[in-house]
Amino acid sequence: MLVSRLLDAVGADAVKFAPEDLSVYAFDGYTQGRAPSAVVLPRSAADVSAVVKIAREFGEPIVPRGAGTGLCGGAVPIEGGIVISFARMNRILELDVRGRRARVQPGLVNLDLSTRVAAHDLFFAPDPSSQKVSTIGGNIGTNAGGPHCLQYGTTVNHVLGLEIVDSFGEVFTTTLDGAGYDLTAALVGSEGTLGIVTSAWVRLQRLPESVRVWVAAFPSIDAASEAVSAIVAAGIIPTALEMMDRVIAQAVEAAFHAGYPTDAGAILLIENAGFEDDMRACEEGLYRIVHANGALSWHTARSQSERDALWAGRKGAAGAVGRLAQNYYLQDVCVPRSKLPQALRAVEAAAREHRLIVGNVFHAGDGNLHPMILYDKRDPLQVAGVIETGNAILSSAVALGGTVSGEHGIGYEKREAMTQIYSTGDLATMARVRDVFDPTLMFNPEKIFPSGARCPEVRA
Amino acid sequence: MTPSSVEELSDVVASCNRSGERIAIEGGNTLAGMGVPVRAPYAHLRTASLTAVVEDAPTDLVVAAQGGITLRNLATQLAAHGTHIPFDAPLAHQATLGGTLAAGWLGPRRHLYGRPRDYVIGSVAVLADGTIARAGGMVVKNVSGYDMSRLYVGAFGTLGIIAQANMKTTALPPHARIFIAPLPEGTRRRALASVVSLRIAPAAAFWVEGFHQSIDGEDGHEGRLIVLLEGSAALLERSTRDLRSALGRAGVPETQILDTGAREAFGRIVDAYVSCLGERSVTYRISAHGQSLVDRVLAARLLADRFELRADTLADAMNDDIILRVSDLDSHALGAKIAMFDDAFHDDEPGATVVAGAHPQRASLNVWGELPDAFDRMRALKARFDPNGTLNPGRFIGGI
Repeated sequence: MLVSRLLDAVGADAVKFAPEDLSVYAFDGYTQGRAPSAVVLPRSAADVSAVVKIAREFGEPIVPRGAGTGLCGGAVPIEGGIVISFARMNRILELDVRGRRARVQPGLVNLDLSTRVAAHDLFFAPDPSSQKVSTIGGNIGTNAGGPHCLQYGTTVNHVLGLEIVDSFGEVFTTTLDGAGYDLTAALVGSEGTLGIVTSAWVRLQRLPESVRVWVAAFPSIDAASEAVSAIVAAGIIPTALEMMDRVIAQAVEAAFHAGYPTDAGAILLIENAGFEDDMRACEEGLYRIVHANGALSWHTARSQSERDALWAGRKGAAGAVGRLAQNYYLQDVCVPRSKLPQALRAVEAAAREHRLIVGNVFHAGDGNLHPMILYDKRDPLQVAGVIETGNAILSSAVALGGTVSGEHGIGYEKREAMTQIYSTGDLATMARVRDVFDPTLMFNPEKIFPSGARCPEVRA
Repeated sequence: MTPSSVEELSDVVASCNRSGERIAIEGGNTLAGMGVPVRAPYAHLRTASLTAVVEDAPTDLVVAAQGGITLRNLATQLAAHGTHIPFDAPLAHQATLGGTLAAGWLGPRRHLYGRPRDYVIGSVAVLADGTIARAGGMVVKNVSGYDMSRLYVGAFGTLGIIAQANMKTTALPPHARIFIAPLPEGTRRRALASVVSLRIAPAAAFWVEGFHQSIDGEDGHEGRLIVLLEGSAALLERSTRDLRSALGRAGVPETQILDTGAREAFGRIVDAYVSCLGERSVTYRISAHGQSLVDRVLAARLLADRFELRADTLADAMNDDIILRVSDLDSHALGAKIAMFDDAFHDDEPGATVVAGAHPQRASLNVWGELPDAFDRMRALKARFDPNGTLNPGRFIGGI
């Protein structure tokens, strides 16, 4: 049977199959799926390959899993099957300081990578708010972003090559060096549906010489978002440009005492990293624009500890919201940056219609909205309102020329929304890639593609 | 065939695909020296009439344009808003957006500004069966299914024709300055090492030997160093000081500074990447990642010497890239040696690719270097996207 074959292949300590151990793997940060039949914790690509071959023999789907911090069900088994958890494959395999690159295992925690290369004056740029726990493999799966990808770009810009186990258990590598199709780009963001990453070459950045963090307070979300649009329109791309509304700023202050003004309608947290010589011009440009857009106050963080506190508040915002409501639903959409004011008005209107409170904390510089809709899941009326509000936000983002996921991915939650931005032909084109890598849909089934999208006319 | 709309492009391609006619896709013909010519017979498909800027959104720092627009025209439009996309592709007045992306062009400033692919946020591609496939959009962050747009980048049109590309833009660096210095042999290693490790990374840094007709500076037999600095006036002031003292410590004699015309001078270096001496030359590109750049340049020059071929070399120190142009007095003299040189060179540099050369023997050289590990998957992808082999057949690696 399946479990004994897995035990033979990877050893007793690498397989979980007791029901009480499996149930936690039915969840991610938000979604509930089904408990898998087994969880395997491989130590090598060879282990992963062996598991994939066994799964194929038994017709079991495979769901790769990092830290399970996703919010769209990407790492959640929908049809059961085998979960491959990368908790034990968390090492840095090679570090090339001169070439500023490292080969890492997929289970390495994002922040651990930056911490461990800091002594060489290097860091890994993608920094999702989950970075204290989320893994490089998971970041690759969702092409994760984070506040600092405003300047550095999302994960795909930082992956130089991959080692992959395909759905037949064969190991292959991809690279950005040399000629050939850019399979690395196809695999990053494919949410585990094309192949399983067993190691990755990632690009590292040199730590900046100088860092400034500023906080600007505005009377309203509207004024703050107009300021963001004006900053981008002026060609100023700071390293990070984050917005928080009053709901979030108050929650964060109560939880962390980060140093945010709590009486403003919205605040911008702005960071610029680079050279000391450019800081003054950058600050002057920002200062002029925020004041032209009605800023109430402008504050420069004076020390590293103050900067750290401001960032800790931002990255802990989701947790702090737990103080405000029993539950929250976090939406993730992205709009053209000049459409931010309209997009935020649409969020507000949708929530008001359902008498729900929304907190906004997001990557404003990228136009990447993260409205958090507060509710109590014991109240079915509120639950229904949350779903409708979430859908309305999604549709209004699309209507403004935006997309249904900026950085969290499609997973299971958003797959039906794919039809809002793509035609049947567009989706069929993506499905051709799936056909090549995973023709039997064994890897992470029921993800990304809308249900029914695999019917013959869609396969073209 | 020169379709003037995406729909017309789709009709033309679909009809060729049905009738079994092969298509050679032609943009600005500036990178036609990469890869192998399309297997004849074929119909020519030019993107020259697909030149529209579809959406110009300077306040969002994004732009969408059709594949046939020239890089110069696109750059002119972006420069009016103070923005650019750092393609660093040769012959920008002729090179097209679609062609440059399809050829996967990599320029010398990518270590600082990223690769062209990193600026792609969406696309409209026409597949072999005429499908008009959209991917991505006009937003800078988008995780909605597979990143099809990047898959067409570097695919040489063999998966689909890039009819439109949506791109991020970035602010044009306000100032540029070029340093040119002779690089006597004894100073070479130290000078290059110190330039690469400058705190303020130069936008580009080259060790050039030869290319006299096209690239500024005199080097006798010792080569010259050319460094491009970009940024604000304040930053340039400091990086100029840093660079001067680093070169001084390395023993580099007097340097010449070019402010006016710095960008034009940089453009000439980029043009040299694919410059040909009629049918008398073949140009290779190798990546020297992880190895000593200087050693590999010297080894390549020595090998050319052994075959009594003239070598012009351009070493991009910031990205560890080497351009080697070998030439002889006439096309016959080159023809007598080039096949043997090609074999010997690939023994040393299995990844070497040919990027330019009009010699009739070019197509029989090992123009793509060794096949990538994932070649079988690439072939399968081609088969799934273009089962009849309609789009640019034979043009890409391994006969794809």
